[in-house]
Amino acid sequence: MMREHRSLIVWPSLIATGLLAAACTDQPNVNMAPNRPSYWLTPPPAQCVTGKWTGGGRIDPTGNRAASNYDNVDEPAGGQPAAPDPAPYMTGKVTFGFNVFLGQDANGNCIVQKGEIEVNGHAQKRAWHVSIHNGVDAYDGRPVYANEFSDGHPGGVCVVVGIPDRPLPDGYMTARVNPGQGRETAQFEVCDNDRGGRQNTRSDAMRWRVAPLKPGETGPSGDTGLTYLTGGNIVEHGS
Amino acid sequence: MNGKSMHWVHRLAALGLVVGLVAGPAAAGSAQSVGGQAYSTYVNTPLGFSGQSPLAVLPAVSGTDGAEADAAGSALSVAGALSSDFLNSITSGEIGTAETGAQSTASAASINILNGLITADEVVANVMSSADQSGAFSNADGSTFTNLAIAGVGSLAGDQPVAPNTNVSLPGVGYVVLNEQIPSGDGVTSSGLTVNMIHVYLQSLVGGVLNPLTGQIIGGTLQTTGEIIVGSATSRVAS
Repeated sequence: MMREHRSLIVWPSLIATGLLAAACTDQPNVNMAPNRPSYWLTPPPAQCVTGKWTGGGRIDPTGNRAASNYDNVDEPAGGQPAAPDPAPYMTGKVTFGFNVFLGQDANGNCIVQKGEIEVNGHAQKRAWHVSIHNGVDAYDGRPVYANEFSDGHPGGVCVVVGIPDRPLPDGYMTARVNPGQGRETAQFEVCDNDRGGRQNTRSDAMRWRVAPLKPGETGPSGDTGLTYLTGGNIVEHGS
Repeated sequence: MNGKSMHWVHRLAALGLVVGLVAGPAAAGSAQSVGGQAYSTYVNTPLGFSGQSPLAVLPAVSGTDGAEADAAGSALSVAGALSSDFLNSITSGEIGTAETGAQSTASAASINILNGLITADEVVANVMSSADQSGAFSNADGSTFTNLAIAGVGSLAGDQPVAPNTNVSLPGVGYVVLNEQIPSGDGVTSSGLTVNMIHVYLQSLVGGVLNPLTGQIIGGTLQTTGEIIVGSATSRVAS
């Protein structure tokens, strides 16, 4: 079972988002989704090198793609894999809050310069936390790579924190998981789909993926899928 | 209180309550400001006391920055008054060029108030405030009760909201306000909202005279002698 999870999360993601990382370096503002219309009428996304993202709230993933709160349109944007990756779907109430500042490393890669991400899985009674300072993940001492791209909503833009642009242990990012002060490989994605408009559209979305991929890690595997917020807000707030 | 834990950064954030909620505008050097806080439980009764816990307070935000704070507790118990577990509080806020916002979430699980008088599998308080050129607003979308029961009154199955400021009498005890909402701001340039999912007001009759014939107390006034709050989230913005 564990091997299945690992292959599920590693192979599709490595292939798809490995390409994205290179593209992010060269063209941080470009929509990575192929054959997708360009929406630049409303404010364009911030440059990857200086983008700032903040938000929080709640999602209620069901694992049902037919559910009205499943963001099917945007899930594959940016080359992101179809959920659940890894299986199974993570369902039930999920609350979260975050603040992420993007930047570039010496090689031009898109990285998170500083950030805090808190995710609570209420059905699992698990609390994950990611803390990034000076471009380094506090729980594994490694850089956290990110990608920013447009999605299927007019003016919408997403950020993926912890892209697998290189093999483990450098890919993704490491989250602390409680109870137990464990560690787990994770990836966080949010989309700001009501930029420049009223912030109560319930069109912003969030996705959380976790798996114990690295030696010594604990915690459950799961993927919420990209899910519209039940409450709260996601804001890409400038360079 | 059993096994309660809180990050040191959150302790600092708690100490910075005044800074976070009051000094924001000064730090910004403009009219734009954001504030937020969240906590899972508060007990102030003759049976015992427990302060706002775990408390997350939004640090000061200025420029086009953002911030996030979170706090967690594994369990809380004040004998005879309240027991609960999986306590989580998150708040975040941002000041952007186009919009300013704050969002807070507080949750508690396995809730037992006053020896089973009120029970719930979980409550989530979720608020957000946003301000842009079109105005300012707040909402409590995503605030729900899971399997709420009030002895002698009734119960709610599943996860669902309750109408704001639902007042339920608790004979011999006082009353409880469910989904207590306290708005602030003018709705044009400022807005804020506090949600207390369960707010119990303990009351006692003071100053009455005992009728020796009937054994009943005549006159007197009801005075609040204590309170219990479970799931409190606050957000506010000014532009």
